[in-house]
Amino acid sequence: MITTADGTIGAQTARPADHPVLGAAGLASPASLYRPLTVADTVEILADGAADLLAGGTDLVPALRTGRRRPRRIIALRRVLELRTRGASADGLIIGAGVTYQDLAGWSLSPGLAATARVVGSPQIRNLGTVGGALGTADPRGDLLTFLSAADAEVVLRSVHGARTVTVPSYLAEGRDPTELITAVRLPRPCGPQAYLKVGARQAASAAVVSCALVVDRVRERVACAIGGVAGRPVRPVAAEDFVRAGVDWATGTAPPDVVAGFGELVTEAVRAVEDPLPDDPRASVAYRRHAAGVLAARAAGRCLSGPSPVRSAGGR
Amino acid sequence: MSEPAYRNVSVDEDPACPSHDAGPRVSYQLHIDGGVREVAGAWFGESLLRVLRDHLGVLSVKDACEQGRCGSCSVLMDGRLVTSCTVLAADAADAQVTTVAGLGVGGPARAVQAAFLAHGAVQCGFCTPGFVVAVTDLLARRPDADEDEIRESLAGNICRCTGYGRIIAAIRSVQEARRRPGDTRWRPGTGQRPGTDQRQGTGR
Repeated sequence: MITTADGTIGAQTARPADHPVLGAAGLASPASLYRPLTVADTVEILADGAADLLAGGTDLVPALRTGRRRPRRIIALRRVLELRTRGASADGLIIGAGVTYQDLAGWSLSPGLAATARVVGSPQIRNLGTVGGALGTADPRGDLLTFLSAADAEVVLRSVHGARTVTVPSYLAEGRDPTELITAVRLPRPCGPQAYLKVGARQAASAAVVSCALVVDRVRERVACAIGGVAGRPVRPVAAEDFVRAGVDWATGTAPPDVVAGFGELVTEAVRAVEDPLPDDPRASVAYRRHAAGVLAARAAGRCLSGPSPVRSAGGR
Repeated sequence: MSEPAYRNVSVDEDPACPSHDAGPRVSYQLHIDGGVREVAGAWFGESLLRVLRDHLGVLSVKDACEQGRCGSCSVLMDGRLVTSCTVLAADAADAQVTTVAGLGVGGPARAVQAAFLAHGAVQCGFCTPGFVVAVTDLLARRPDADEDEIRESLAGNICRCTGYGRIIAAIRSVQEARRRPGDTRWRPGTGQRPGTDQRQGTGR
């Protein structure tokens, strides 16, 4: 049981009705930590748009400590079990917003997502960080954002007015309304090799300086690529995707080395052309990131399009 | 709030933490190393690390980066390895929290601690509690992890003294001892997953 210092109602059941908010400003504040058990309760508490959401805590808790974020109300989502489910249907995969990186790391239904999750942070962070948290924070270097952009994923948001589904690019452009809860991510079932590669300050437990996700769809004969860490949002190098798509022998799913190399060069060109490049920072210059994007893209294409390699994981590091 | 004797500056007055004035204070119980501890009047945004150290005096949980990067504050929460600096303490009220003191005898914790001493894996010692928690968690899940997997699994624990070589040597020795016939110190499958045996540990 949680009680506030002034003895007001506990935050355990977390229905807004249980928290009489005193009308006169300054007399008292409502209980500031809510720990709901259901999505329905969560969106009710969120209805006035005045609460911060706590998922895995890896971003919010350090920000509370330094004072960078100072919410009056926090909704902790750890106990909302319906957010922690994942599953597959005929037409796609659905992953609850509360699913952790560790949950995804061993998920055989999406090898690219598993490969991405395995290189996020450290075991400690992977045990805490969630899909919904990654989208909520929307760090331009976020590993998961890069992969979800390449995988043509959609974000499911819910408020008291109902649910809506938006593509990842439009979610990243428009953001989440403060009254909405990210409940899930949907993405198509994998239909071919997938890879996620990143460069960072260290091989492990390090944020990506540049990342590259590649998703090959051998049924629809498409190649999708996303580059993270070069702009405010992951970049889709459309011309490079079209080039490699035309160069793949779709009967075997392979591409010759010159197509793979040309793909890397076109990705570098696409990164050069982005309108909102992330500026030089102490970890990497713009020129380095542009170069690294092309190298990673060609490497990823080499792994995914170099012919049968039944054993090797397409997502290796 | 009763002030721990070791600390002569209260958290509220720490000028580096202006946000501590924002939001009300809350009281709740935490389940630490099998015992129940009362937290009274803690700022609602306090991390589990700060509550363990400042409110409950659990000083084996070390405080270095407070950004989830160094691993010195590692604990198990419901049997999962986490950095306590990135956990909201009040949201851990119904979880079982296990520090190095509560790892118990069911898993490899004792053998890990002995091997750390025998192999010089403890130098300044600041990172050691976090490492012991992380290594115990790893060996309970993956007793035969090879060196690559060990290094990758410990990437979230930073040591600035040993260069990691002695830590790896200590872990390898635990693994070798386990494979030796007649060794009874620790066998996987005979004990519980660390952090799930709540009869062990004293909470201190």
